[in-house]
Amino acid sequence: MSVVKATKEEKEKKTEEEEISEDLDLKVKKYLRGGAANFDDLKDKKLKGQLSHREFLHGASAKAAAKYEKWLMPSEGGYLEADGPVEKTWRIKQEDIRREVDISSSRNQHDVILPEFSPYTLAFTSNGQYMAAAGRKGHLAIVDMKNMIPRREIQVGETVRDVVFLQDQSFFAAVQKKYTYIYGQEGIEAHCLKDQGAVLKLQFLKNHFLLASINKFGQLHYEDVSMGAMIGNIRTGLGRTDVMQVNPYNAVVGLGHSGGTVTMWKPTSSAPLVKMLCHHGPVSALAFHPNGHLMATAGKERKIKLWDLRKFEVLQTLPGHAKTLDFSQKGLLACGTGSFVQVLSDFSGTQNYSRYMNHSMVKGYKISNFLFRPYEDVLGIGHSMGWSSILIPGSGEPNFDSWVANPFETRKQRGEKEVHLLLDKLPPETIMLDPTKIGTVKTARKKEKSTKKEIEAEMEATIEAVKDGINMKKKTKGRSKPSKKLKKRQEIIAKAKRPFLEQQMQDGQLSIKKQKISEEVELPKSLQRFARKKAAT
Amino acid sequence: MRNLLYNLQGKTAKPRDENVPSDDDEDEDEDGDLMDNGGNKLEDSHDEIEEDDDGRHVRMLEGITGMPSEAFEGKKKKNNVVISEAYPESEYNPTRDVLDGDGRISMEDLLGTLQKKPGFGKLRKIMDQMKKSEAIEAPLPTVIREKMERQAAYKISKKDMAKWEPQVKRNREAPTIYFDEDTDLGFSTVGAIASEFEPRTEFEKKMASLVYDDDVMEAHKKDGSRLLELNQVSVEDEKERHNRIAKMRSLLFRHEMKAKHIKKIKSKTYHRLLKKDRLKTAAALTEMDPEAAKEQAMKQEFKRAEERMTLKHKNTSKWATRILQRGLQVQDEEEEDEVPDSGILSLPFMERGLKKRKEAAEEEAKLALQEYEVSMKQLDDPSGAENSKIKASSGRRVFGAAKICAPESRDVIKTDNFYANSDSDDDMEAKENIFDVGKDGSSDMQKDVHVDSVLPNEFHQDSVFKSFDDIVRDPGPKTTYDVAIFASDKWRKMESRNKVDANSKKSPVAVEPEYNQDLQEPVKEVGENSDTESEGQMVDGIISLDPKPTYELPSQTELIRQAFAGDDVEEDFENDKQEILNEENPEPEKPVLLPGWGQWTRVQKKKGLPSWMLKEHENAKRKREEALKKRKDAHLKHVIISEKLDKKAEKLLTKTLPYPFTSKEVFEQSIRMPIGPEFNPATAVGALNRPAVVKKPGVIIKPIEFKEVNPHENKEDHKWSGQKQKMKKSKSDGSIPRKKMKKAEGKSKKVN
Repeated sequence: MSVVKATKEEKEKKTEEEEISEDLDLKVKKYLRGGAANFDDLKDKKLKGQLSHREFLHGASAKAAAKYEKWLMPSEGGYLEADGPVEKTWRIKQEDIRREVDISSSRNQHDVILPEFSPYTLAFTSNGQYMAAAGRKGHLAIVDMKNMIPRREIQVGETVRDVVFLQDQSFFAAVQKKYTYIYGQEGIEAHCLKDQGAVLKLQFLKNHFLLASINKFGQLHYEDVSMGAMIGNIRTGLGRTDVMQVNPYNAVVGLGHSGGTVTMWKPTSSAPLVKMLCHHGPVSALAFHPNGHLMATAGKERKIKLWDLRKFEVLQTLPGHAKTLDFSQKGLLACGTGSFVQVLSDFSGTQNYSRYMNHSMVKGYKISNFLFRPYEDVLGIGHSMGWSSILIPGSGEPNFDSWVANPFETRKQRGEKEVHLLLDKLPPETIMLDPTKIGTVKTARKKEKSTKKEIEAEMEATIEAVKDGINMKKKTKGRSKPSKKLKKRQEIIAKAKRPFLEQQMQDGQLSIKKQKISEEVELPKSLQRFARKKAAT
Repeated sequence: MRNLLYNLQGKTAKPRDENVPSDDDEDEDEDGDLMDNGGNKLEDSHDEIEEDDDGRHVRMLEGITGMPSEAFEGKKKKNNVVISEAYPESEYNPTRDVLDGDGRISMEDLLGTLQKKPGFGKLRKIMDQMKKSEAIEAPLPTVIREKMERQAAYKISKKDMAKWEPQVKRNREAPTIYFDEDTDLGFSTVGAIASEFEPRTEFEKKMASLVYDDDVMEAHKKDGSRLLELNQVSVEDEKERHNRIAKMRSLLFRHEMKAKHIKKIKSKTYHRLLKKDRLKTAAALTEMDPEAAKEQAMKQEFKRAEERMTLKHKNTSKWATRILQRGLQVQDEEEEDEVPDSGILSLPFMERGLKKRKEAAEEEAKLALQEYEVSMKQLDDPSGAENSKIKASSGRRVFGAAKICAPESRDVIKTDNFYANSDSDDDMEAKENIFDVGKDGSSDMQKDVHVDSVLPNEFHQDSVFKSFDDIVRDPGPKTTYDVAIFASDKWRKMESRNKVDANSKKSPVAVEPEYNQDLQEPVKEVGENSDTESEGQMVDGIISLDPKPTYELPSQTELIRQAFAGDDVEEDFENDKQEILNEENPEPEKPVLLPGWGQWTRVQKKKGLPSWMLKEHENAKRKREEALKKRKDAHLKHVIISEKLDKKAEKLLTKTLPYPFTSKEVFEQSIRMPIGPEFNPATAVGALNRPAVVKKPGVIIKPIEFKEVNPHENKEDHKWSGQKQKMKKSKSDGSIPRKKMKKAEGKSKKVN
């Protein structure tokens, strides 16, 4: 019996090991980024050897990374799970959650009522440590979210439409009635960005240090906040809009328009990269999944659509209004209308979003915008009576990476990070739909001019073809003499040759002309008529 | 020895050696020929007589020797063949039988004569040896021989080299070669070097024997402390030393001061005397010691030669000195004067302008100089100040004074012109100018100039006011115009529809709280849009915002508009797409005939367009369709993906496939993985970024040593060894990886 038991245990162990190895394999695959190309076709043995060694190293690296992820990640994200088929996760209320969670988490459920200056717009720093709240009527507040202490409050005495943090909490930009202002940590005005006009919505591209803004006339501006230079100034030509979001994957700015279209922009081109018709009514909200492949749009015609940005196709269409949309770090999608918040989820990983949680606020509170707080299971909601925050289990990333964003950042770390960010700043040209294309071979759009050799080969081929095709008719006396036939033959060949020769002549002349032109220093066109005419030699 | 023998053999066997007699042979032949030519007839006539003669001769021989006649037969026959000899037989002219065979000269014959000479035995021995090795083949020609030798040598060397192959191959294939396996850098301290010192020379050995003398060592060990005590110096000694040094120093200092003083003396006589003194002493020395004098002379000569070699005496010719004095400068000037052949400056009017400007500058410089001189004079004169006024009214001095005020007046006029032209609102500066003028106007001399300048100013102000009036009168159209520019077509359409509405609503909309705008439909937003500019003028900030927001239900018409808003959206989008497609791939023009061509008769008209035109058109059409099909958005009705090339982003792409790669896919796959420390665990970063050669600075790379390497070594082994290394590394820095890994993950999210 005991022997049998032992074998059983062994079997169990084995299965466990297999499971682990399978799990690891999955993770390794993720880190291998698509795997190596097929080297069998390579004829160069040296290159083959080098590449296979490289692949081996990459494999080892991926394996190590997978192991670290498997064993050293501190915590796994949790989420609400229904007990049986009867219980539904969306029936669970905030009060129910409050009873279950610890004190520090329950502190994240709160309402701040400030009706005098509302509605409020919110913004979080990338590590979720600080929140900026901007009341429409000029109230700007920076709140330390960990200690729940307002760090700085200022009253600008003007309409404030939007607020964003720049690289970290030390600077934030607020859109006021006429201009956009950048304030320092202490609420002291650092800059006034006058050339952007009356801005409606701001976004900060943190890897490029660009502040993107859309103004009342539908002009998209990109301002480099590290140098203070205007990088891009684009007229969208699609009218006024305040629906703007940055795709975190490739830093492409998405705009929603009244014509139901969504356009995507980069600072270095005046035409939209992509223009897609998403809705029949005006687009009311827009959000990008953190992995950059998924986009959610909401139209005024009561539809919320999920798009696959790799294929530009609809994945899912959901009914309902949404005044604002937001994806959490873990991919939960929140939609807000009126005083009602709905959170959708795809925990199965199939990108089939279904209802996950609901939350309705006190009647009369109108949601203006909301944001998931990074690295926390918290949704911050700005509404017409202040702001509030609710718990959405499973929304935030449980394992932070201190190299990317550290929720427990100290002052010194912040300083270091700022320097690193500035050193790693990406130039604005790197913004493109598919950033993996950087470094790849340029696709030749037009066929390059064929080389001399190729031309000659082509000419020979045509001549051969012509020679083969010559079919002399039997003609009346005297006209099919051998000499005449030969002459005719030569004529045909010469005719076939002519276009090639002409082409060559032209090229030669062109090159000579080019040389001549390049020898002289070119005058501006307006001054050319004054130039001395040289005698042709 | 072998060589010698070979030579001997060669000499005996070589046909060349036989050439010598053959020469003679030829001579003989020639002689014979001559004979033939001469005595052909003689032969014929004397044939019979000769036969008779021969018979008689044989008989005579028989009689004398008593031998049968057969013995003489051969001789006779031979005599028949060999015709008469031209010369008598001698050692220089051997007979034919000697040459032909039986009667050949053998070695023995030759040796016979040497029998009694000393060294004959030796020669004999060699001869015997030679006889034993009989058939010796002729050696091959050198070319072939050398070739064979080379081939053999190559075979051997190839074998020698081939043993290195696996080792070299392994090194070639290794991604990294290590040269730091045994890093014994040798001595690093002076002590270490000294400890290895071994005495070699006599002196060193002596020193070593003294230093390492056992007695000394022992004594040192025993009373080292006492020896230290002995090192003590008494106070008196130290004082004395100090004094001595001080004295030396003071002496030196004095000497130095004296030398300086002498050097400073400028008196020529003094130096002359000094020189004389020096010469005298030198002369005395030469007289005293001729050897030293000679040396001195040599030294001087050498110095002189050295001096001659320097550049100082290089350019001493007349031409060179002249060029050095002025030529180079002259050239420089010419260069300055030169006008470039091409470019803007070469234009004739530019040239003229340059010339003019230069002249003006020169004149100005001249004037400035004059002025300067005058002012200097004035300064020199104590009464200059009084004189200046008087002088100002007369002659030359007027010019200077006028010059002072003239530029000012010109300035003022200039600014006037500027403001008159511009309709800008910074007339403050102009006013300031006037004030300045007023202040300066107190001086009598410049008055008239300022009166002139004031007038245009007033005129200018008027114009400014006028323009202000214009602005105040109708600010409206301007703002609406702006909006029209920025708003899209759709907006404009709606605007035109609701223009009256918008105008009438103007003020209420402006006061309306802005957060209601989201409920309002586009039309209302337009109204707001057009009024944003005026909003600022009428109300300010918080005052404009209603503290109590009221929610108004949208009116019926608005709701209907909202419901049908998206009706024409799809069509619009399709039109848009078509437009963009046409822009990027324009549609080919339809073929048209020139009017009058092909229309003369009905037949031509019926035929229609020529076939080639139609063909071309069709081709162009097909091409366009293909291009459209290739687009990414060809199958996506609701998407337009721009195919425009971004020139700025082009620099981020590689222009051509880098060298060893032949396929694009392989290259792109090879660069897919980042190798930086942000994207990889710390354990893998080192291996990923290891250079091809790992070597410590200062390590000497020794030439390759032969090692037995298995040529069929498994590659797995390599890999395994690489892994082992990695494992070692991971042990060494176990704490970091977690962080790095996470970073890798985070970044991957961001970038990939």
